[in-house]
Amino acid sequence: MASLLQPDRVVYLVRGEKKIRAPLSQLYFCRYCSELRSLECVSHEVDSHYCPSCLENMPSAEAKLKKNRCANCFDCPCCMHTLSTRATNIPAPLPDDPTKTAMKKAYYLACGFCRWTSRDVGMADKSVASGGWQEPENPHTQRINKLIEYYQQLAHREKQDRDRKKMARRRQCMPLAFSEKYGLGTRLQRQRPGAPISSLSGLSLKEGEEQKDITIEPAPALDEVEPLPEDCYSRPISLPEVTTLRQRLLQPDFQPAGASQLHPRHKHLLMKRSLRCRKCEHNLSKPEFNPTSIKFKIQLVAVSYIPEVRIMSIPNLRNMKESQVLLTLTNPVENITHVTLAPCEDDDPDDINSTAKVVVPGKQLVLAGKDAAAEYDELAEPQDFQDDPDVVAFRKSNKIGFFIKVIPQKEEDADVTVSFKIRHDFRNLAAPVRPSEEGGAAAAPAPAESIWLTHHVELRLGPLAP
Amino acid sequence: MADKPNPQKSVKIAAGAVVCVESEIRGDVTIGPRTVVHPKARIIAEAGPIVIGEGNLIEEQALIINGYPENITPESEVEPKTMTIGMNNVFEVGCVSQALKIGDNNVIESKADVGRNVILTSGCIIGAFCQVNTCEVIPENTVIYGSGCMRRVQTERPQDHRSSSDRLHTRRVSPPGPEEVQRRA
Repeated sequence: MASLLQPDRVVYLVRGEKKIRAPLSQLYFCRYCSELRSLECVSHEVDSHYCPSCLENMPSAEAKLKKNRCANCFDCPCCMHTLSTRATNIPAPLPDDPTKTAMKKAYYLACGFCRWTSRDVGMADKSVASGGWQEPENPHTQRINKLIEYYQQLAHREKQDRDRKKMARRRQCMPLAFSEKYGLGTRLQRQRPGAPISSLSGLSLKEGEEQKDITIEPAPALDEVEPLPEDCYSRPISLPEVTTLRQRLLQPDFQPAGASQLHPRHKHLLMKRSLRCRKCEHNLSKPEFNPTSIKFKIQLVAVSYIPEVRIMSIPNLRNMKESQVLLTLTNPVENITHVTLAPCEDDDPDDINSTAKVVVPGKQLVLAGKDAAAEYDELAEPQDFQDDPDVVAFRKSNKIGFFIKVIPQKEEDADVTVSFKIRHDFRNLAAPVRPSEEGGAAAAPAPAESIWLTHHVELRLGPLAP
Repeated sequence: MADKPNPQKSVKIAAGAVVCVESEIRGDVTIGPRTVVHPKARIIAEAGPIVIGEGNLIEEQALIINGYPENITPESEVEPKTMTIGMNNVFEVGCVSQALKIGDNNVIESKADVGRNVILTSGCIIGAFCQVNTCEVIPENTVIYGSGCMRRVQTERPQDHRSSSDRLHTRRVSPPGPEEVQRRA
């Protein structure tokens, strides 16, 4: 059954700041710490920005300037799909001879999904294919910019005061630029709620410039507000004319209420992120810089280091009766791995979800290494592992099928869950090579040491048979 | 087919229409000139005749069926209602149309499902995979799109599918990105 292969059937426990249970395909493995990591125990960093439709790369500084939007591509304001430029021919008088008309190209934007066109909001057709489309100007831009400048200056001043206090306390001669260098990005200065706005201070004026005092006028309070139109309650609403909340909030500057004022906006950029282990600061995942490439420069995903347990078949489970469940173990690495399974202890703090007792095979299971050329190599002798037929059901290249016995404990159980510990040896090829005792010009690399790793695995086997 | 008194079981195809022999046409169907019926299209007139106008385009695996409503068995006496389809409509691949009255210049996109009690006026576009089985008249120039069958009114008529001069000149200018679907030429 394909539903047995669903990723959330088998979850591994990650012991980080929070205990997270996630399928192995969503976990990372830090081979320097030799521990599983999930998305919540790594730090995410932005690698590069790119536009999802034209796949154009953009350096972060430029992206910040353009407010994280692409310069060429537009989004349909109605359905948020990407707009495409279409051309039609319109007769237009020739500049030389007004009496004759020639066919000139006119370009307009159209959405392929909801059939919105730029002519719907009254935007005139442009004569240039790209670059002619402008976003409407916000009437409040000037005021907002002034406010931002004022608060930037305020933040800068606050930071200077803070640094002066720190310097006075430490009584050391630290240059003022020291705190500037370690701005955002290191863990030391993560934003704490309630702290003064230090994010804006990074964009503030440089040290040498004189700081002009920017004053802002407070917003004037009006006594009289524009009254509502008289037919506000009696006029029938034409629903196609009213914008939906989503359409409205995607344009927070204008928030138009009528569909005839929905102008297209530039497309949002997406970003590629890299992940870093919080304990040892090594990169766990680093994508390629090129937006068209989906490969990774560094890809330390858990499925390529940890043996994966999968459910193969479940018999009818009955309350308090022992049944045999067939599981498979796959070895992702190229050397032979030895795996031992152990049931959870009675007072195990990790064992909170299991609703059934499990009897795991006590013997050590041996998994063959993953051999990429195995299917082409006809002369390879099958390795003889002498499997116990009660324990091992089948063996196929780097995978074995084995039985566990499950005794459901709860009556009327909608989802029988079992958990056990899996202990396997891991050869750490990334560990630094220890120099040999004699030294010597060409020291032979010491064989990588194997360490034993233990993981807590939980399986969801589904409901009891009726 | 059950024996009914005076059945007109003929299929009348006007001159200038292109009807592929692999299509399945059953019952009393009239097809107007310049209409194109692609192979594997099915036009089935069970509970009454179907009259198809000029210039329509019925693509592969489209199903136009004038069938019995679900709660009425074929044995009981039901007056046969004629299904009328106007001019220049497009029935894209895999759509199902049971609407009794369809006007002009409509587009029923792929895998859309139009129920029996819907009346399409003109210039309507029923988006791909949208199921419209309400009991209403769809106003002119309505576009139904999206998984929630959102609606909006468009100000432009859909492009005339037959006009070749338009097709040559109305083409995509920006290079199609990886997620854009090729529009059929």
